[in-house]
Amino acid sequence: MGANLFSNYGEAVAMILFGIGFGNLLLQSNLIKKIIGLNIMDTAIYLFLAEKGYIENRVAPIVTDGVQSMEVYINPIPSGLVLTGIVVSVSVSALMLSITIRLYQRYQTLDLDEISTRLKKEGL
Amino acid sequence: MYYIILSIFFPIFTGVYLLFRGEMKNRKNLLTVTGVFFAISAVLVILAICMAGNNIFTLFCLTDRLPILFKIDEVSVVFSIMTIVVVLCAGFFSFAYMKHEEKEKRYYGYYLIVLGVLIALCFAGNLITFYMFFELLTLSSMPLVLHSGSREAVMAGLKYLFYSLSGAYMSLFGLYFLERYGNTLTFSAGGVISADMAAGHGGLLLGICFAMLIGFGVKAGMFPMHAWLPAAHPVAPAPASAVLSAVIVKAGVLAVVRVVYYIFGVSFLRGSWVQYAWMILTLTTVFMGSMLAYREPVLKKRLAYSTVSQLSYILFGLAVMEESSVTGGLLHVLCHGFIKAALFLCAGAIIYMTGKTRVEQLRGIGKEMPFLMWCYTIVSLGLIGIPPTGGFISKWYLAKGALSSGILGFDLIGVVILLLSALLTAGYLLPLTIQGFFPGADYDYGTLKKKEPPLMMTVPVFILTVLSVAIGLFPQMIIHYLLRIVEKIM
Amino acid sequence: MSLVRNFPAVSILLCLFAGIISSGLKKRAAEYVNTILIFVAGLLSLCTLLYILETGQMFVYVMGKFPAPWGNEIRAGVLEAFTALFFCIIMLLSLVGGRKKLADEVEEGKTFLYYVLMDLLLASLLALVYTNDLFTAYVFVEINTIAACGLIMIRQNGRTIEAAARYMIMSLLGSGLLLMGICMLYDLTGHLLMSNIKEQMKWVYLAGHYKIPMLVTIALMSVGLAIKSALFPFHAWLPDAYGYSTVSSAAILSSLVSKGYIFLLIKIIYRVIGFEVFYESRIMDVLFAFGLMGMIFGSISAIRENDIRRMIAFSSVAQIGYIYMGIGMGTQAGMEASVFHILSHAATKSLLFIAAIGLTEVSGGSRQFIELTGSAYRNKWAGVAFTVGSLSMVGVPLFSGFISKLLFAQAAVQNDVKMLPALIVLGISTILNAIYFMKTVIRIYTPVEEHKYGSMTFKDMKLYVAALFSFIILNVALGVSSQPIVDLIGQGLAMFS
Repeated sequence: MGANLFSNYGEAVAMILFGIGFGNLLLQSNLIKKIIGLNIMDTAIYLFLAEKGYIENRVAPIVTDGVQSMEVYINPIPSGLVLTGIVVSVSVSALMLSITIRLYQRYQTLDLDEISTRLKKEGL
Repeated sequence: MYYIILSIFFPIFTGVYLLFRGEMKNRKNLLTVTGVFFAISAVLVILAICMAGNNIFTLFCLTDRLPILFKIDEVSVVFSIMTIVVVLCAGFFSFAYMKHEEKEKRYYGYYLIVLGVLIALCFAGNLITFYMFFELLTLSSMPLVLHSGSREAVMAGLKYLFYSLSGAYMSLFGLYFLERYGNTLTFSAGGVISADMAAGHGGLLLGICFAMLIGFGVKAGMFPMHAWLPAAHPVAPAPASAVLSAVIVKAGVLAVVRVVYYIFGVSFLRGSWVQYAWMILTLTTVFMGSMLAYREPVLKKRLAYSTVSQLSYILFGLAVMEESSVTGGLLHVLCHGFIKAALFLCAGAIIYMTGKTRVEQLRGIGKEMPFLMWCYTIVSLGLIGIPPTGGFISKWYLAKGALSSGILGFDLIGVVILLLSALLTAGYLLPLTIQGFFPGADYDYGTLKKKEPPLMMTVPVFILTVLSVAIGLFPQMIIHYLLRIVEKIM
Repeated sequence: MSLVRNFPAVSILLCLFAGIISSGLKKRAAEYVNTILIFVAGLLSLCTLLYILETGQMFVYVMGKFPAPWGNEIRAGVLEAFTALFFCIIMLLSLVGGRKKLADEVEEGKTFLYYVLMDLLLASLLALVYTNDLFTAYVFVEINTIAACGLIMIRQNGRTIEAAARYMIMSLLGSGLLLMGICMLYDLTGHLLMSNIKEQMKWVYLAGHYKIPMLVTIALMSVGLAIKSALFPFHAWLPDAYGYSTVSSAAILSSLVSKGYIFLLIKIIYRVIGFEVFYESRIMDVLFAFGLMGMIFGSISAIRENDIRRMIAFSSVAQIGYIYMGIGMGTQAGMEASVFHILSHAATKSLLFIAAIGLTEVSGGSRQFIELTGSAYRNKWAGVAFTVGSLSMVGVPLFSGFISKLLFAQAAVQNDVKMLPALIVLGISTILNAIYFMKTVIRIYTPVEEHKYGSMTFKDMKLYVAALFSFIILNVALGVSSQPIVDLIGQGLAMFS
């Protein structure tokens, strides 16, 4: 188990980061910190994918002088997934930030719980 | 064969039509139209009964295993005739009574729908059809309870709704299991439990049967789920209370008959804990209902409590599962239907003429409306069980069945409680007669005015009274018919 | 290759294009494009459904001519096509029903954006239904989330923005877990196409390798999708989001968006993980337990609510609990019941939302119960529709709700262990449902003395009434002739595996 963990330290780090991000997104009441948590979480997943997709002593599948052998290249799909994932996470972060700006303009605070209590007081 | 469908859906559709059409300018027009609808419905029911034979009519299928089907057997005939007579009498009575209430059109609309649903319940050929219309009955009769729209009525309506829905769910609970353990859900005399499937699940099935009894018993006001009845029945307009108390509660009785004798079967239940528990519940209800009625000062509420007690007579007869007790129970269905309707209509006529609701206000009422009070007295005697009225015959059979059942303890205790309750019945019904006709020396005869209610009110009461007496005078034919049912299902 | 085989892909692409085109259009034009689009998408799904029923087998459409293990695929079976068709119908009716109200609730200049978001939402829903590729599913899950978030906060007030923020946070947690699950699955099997993963999964499972990673993967994906579809403890965002957004948004969010995720979960269970493997993992027991809790707590919250829209929203929590209970039952029958409930709940809940708006409209715009007294007389059609919806929710025979309860119960009876808790909770929740829905129905039918508010006539709201009636007919049709649909669902689930 210990040896396993050591040889797969990349994945382990990714998991720890995922946990940190998840916790932040869930538990922080500050919206900006939540968004940071979101980004840590997403990045952890990309790290995990990249770590999984990399095979030692192989190169990126960019063909410069003809295909040599299947054994030389790494699998390109995880990299592709990471790219797609980044696009998604960027757009989601942008949306979150815009919501945050709206809320800040209205309530002059970034604390979601405080916004909730104020909404209750407004009784809207 | 199509008469079955017509007799069910004609009242329902005409009721919906009345609900949705615009307000009629002339009250007379409304009454004529409604009267014609009543008459056609009655004719259709009679035709359906006469033409039915042994046909099964499948309307459509909810799912492959759950068709909605109708079938007319002897039990349907008994219940549907009682229903149509009482509903019609109360309906014509309301032509006069509803003059002093608002929203008549709505009232008749729901009234017709209730009639159709009741007929559908009588003709339902399997459990799922029965359940479906059982739910619809609750929903369509609720507007009758809510009619006045007062806070009291709304609270009573909600109580009615929740008791009924919880009851219906308990029975639905049973339906889920029966679909698995039964051969079919179609009512067939002697039960449908499949022996192979049920083997080893006897305890479970008994538990389910008990749940279904309690569930359907809600409608019949059986202890411990009776509290809605005295709240909901009196707040409705008097003719509607008559229908609620005389017919709609019988839907619960019909349900119990169907479940016990046509789904589970006597042989499955006889001697089981369910039978004993059920008997204890019914006897408790008989006694408790009479006691509560005895202590109740408001006439309509008193009658509602009396319904609680009288219905458990019927249920007790069914619970004993003895030939003559079941006959007595079924006969009491008819007697109680006519009598309780007549009593509520009397109460309605009194309210209509005098506006008085409490028993102690009604001193000298017999001098004011002697004809009505004579009818009241005669049907009261019937409910107490004094010959030559129908109530006597049915109670006689009930007692005979209980005594011959040989179930240790229950045979004697049952009869004793029945007698005790009959005594209490006399105690809560007759004071009105006594004070009504003999108001005492200090009664001021100077203010007395003859206030006999209009013919539209007295005639239905009179018809019901005559019927309840007729059952007592000429019981052979009916008993013969009922015995045929009993032979089949035992 | 038959022309029909292109239809699923075409319908998704059409939606995406319509979204792009609409963003340059005026309000009216965007509305027309959207209506026509939904209609066409529904028609294409119908053709697909008929085609599949005729040929009797599902088909796979290869995107961009890359063959199986590498390319992206669309897969259309009976259930997919039928669900797509149903989603289109519900969306069309909800939009038509809420159209009049939309003008008051959304700024004039932003209405076209509303329809752009709707187009995108439909695209993502169709993609979720049809796709055979897990990563594509993830991408469209996110598109779905973004579109839904936009639909919540297009009506600008503090409540909706806060609700949108909460919705986004919860959804992002869910999709984070889902993505992690997908990555681990990819890691375990080396594939992203559902059918290929399943083959590998079977092999891995039979060989007995990777027990714990597999469990973690299944848990991650189930919990992720459960969070996104607002299963009980994760529902905090729901009442505000459904309660304060525009009425069409609320109807569509509750009846389609959350259902899209559940549909994806069912697909994952059958087509990715395999029913047996999922059954062995015992995750379903967790879903079952949370489903039961949701059924009770959702209803209790609904009873305590004084605001009709929020009450209906809380009722959604309970209904989603039903669906997860069915999934958690772990039987074919339970799954069928769940799928049927997805349809039945979609038809009923959108009806309720649309009817509720008609009632609040004639009560001075207030949604408090006190003001709603007697509103059914002021707007007869909405009153009738609300009553029908309520009866269906309570589970009165003749309406769709009864059939789904019947199916749930039949499924429960087959499972000896889960039978009692399921039936008892079903009973309790039925009665709780009856309490709050019947309370409302009686309230709206209680006459009032003074007439504070004007009433609506048929002329004011022809389209609205048409939408309501279509919903009612849909409901009764599901309740009266359920057998063909149940058969269809059974056939579809059989095609899944």
